[in-house]
Amino acid sequence: MTALLRYQAALLIRSHRWLGPLLLYGAFLVIGVRSGEPVLDSLGVAAAALVPAAAWLTRVCVTNEPSSARDCAAAAAGPARAHLAAVLTALLASAALGTAVLPAASAGLVAALACALIGVAVGALCNRPLLRSTAWAVPSTVLAVFLVVFAGGSPAKAAVNGLVTGSLSGTVEVPLLPLAGAAVLAAGATAVACAASARRGAER
Amino acid sequence: MRLEGVGRRYGIGGPWVVRDVDLDVPAATLLRIEGANGSGKSTLLRLLAGIDAPSAGRVTGRPRTAYVPERFPPALPFTAVGYLTAMGRVHGLRRAVAARAAREWLERFDAGRHARTRLSELSKGTSQKVAVAQGLLAPAGLLVLDEAWTGLDHASRALLDEAVTERVAAGAAVVFVDHDPRRLAGAPDGVFRVEAGRVRPVAAPAADVALVRVEVAAPAGTALPAGLPGDPVAEVHRAGTVRLTVAADRSDALLRTLLTADPPWHVRAVTTLETNR
Repeated sequence: MTALLRYQAALLIRSHRWLGPLLLYGAFLVIGVRSGEPVLDSLGVAAAALVPAAAWLTRVCVTNEPSSARDCAAAAAGPARAHLAAVLTALLASAALGTAVLPAASAGLVAALACALIGVAVGALCNRPLLRSTAWAVPSTVLAVFLVVFAGGSPAKAAVNGLVTGSLSGTVEVPLLPLAGAAVLAAGATAVACAASARRGAER
Repeated sequence: MRLEGVGRRYGIGGPWVVRDVDLDVPAATLLRIEGANGSGKSTLLRLLAGIDAPSAGRVTGRPRTAYVPERFPPALPFTAVGYLTAMGRVHGLRRAVAARAAREWLERFDAGRHARTRLSELSKGTSQKVAVAQGLLAPAGLLVLDEAWTGLDHASRALLDEAVTERVAAGAAVVFVDHDPRRLAGAPDGVFRVEAGRVRPVAAPAADVALVRVEVAAPAGTALPAGLPGDPVAEVHRAGTVRLTVAADRSDALLRTLLTADPPWHVRAVTTLETNR
């Protein structure tokens, strides 16, 4: 697994395709974070913006290899493990993005992790092997990101809300429950995608 | 490794590409898979390589596997040696061993001077050498070659023949598809033909049989007549042109059938192929 992760990380870094998600994240921060507003509100924006960035990073990682190269790696390591490595690389990159921006204040960090996990879950479900064509993958990702950021019951929304209400009441709770929920959802989504990677291998 | 009742179809309720495949792939054997274009050869190879999971049946006893695709478009942001080292590690080699094996295989294929060239700048032939080296880097228990010889120069083809023979002698199972019916002639322990979604054993072609290659053309979309004499191996050469390779003693019958077919096929070239021995 370490070898696969190194390979995927090298692919991600050298492909420069991380630039898009990074710029998107930066744009959200520029628009959403204003000086003079409560810090926790800004943390909420920074965490919520990680959802689309992580979903995009996941798309980048699972579509980074041409199919012939993917086949070589899948034969060597098994298609499910190869796909898992791509998704994990995206998660590590998203978490790195979040921890670079959000201060080590534990509430902000935990909320960022929850949002990164939810973003990766969306990315895992809305791209190959489950949705192959860009025409389906991109609109579904956008729609799903809106749903998980704004719909009630989503761990990402719960984590962000925790920060925002914390800024109103003056006390902040570490959103551990949303983090656990996000982890479960991300694990489930990744398991479904990995299982499908061998089942739906050569389908175009 | 063993395939029991293996079938594969794309999508629930889709047509079976291959089905009811029972195939033993013991260690130290060389198997050749034949079949027309679109017959399901590549799907069978993907099942054997473990890239695709069977839709029915099961595969048991899979050893460490390596796969070489037919085409290797080099759209990866690595140098040749960088990619091979990374893949060597995925194949389970330690870093130093992987780096050494990557260099050695590039040297063997006379591509050592391209070691530091980016994959996207390599010629088609050299990227195929990288793909082949990727399959040979680590001592895999099963090597699956999908027309891996296509695009290689003469010396590299001979080298790959040699490497395959070495691997089998060392105890690996090697399964291959190649459009040249004389590829590794006489060496395969078994030959299987994929036809109408079924896989059946056929007699291995004798190593010294004289072969004739016939190049024929017809308006685009014309299918080859069914049941051609001599059971030729067909490959689409260019759009509208098909190359048929057949045993020399059946070539006259084959030409007669093609010329009298409706619509008739136009014969572009007839070449006698040299025998291997």
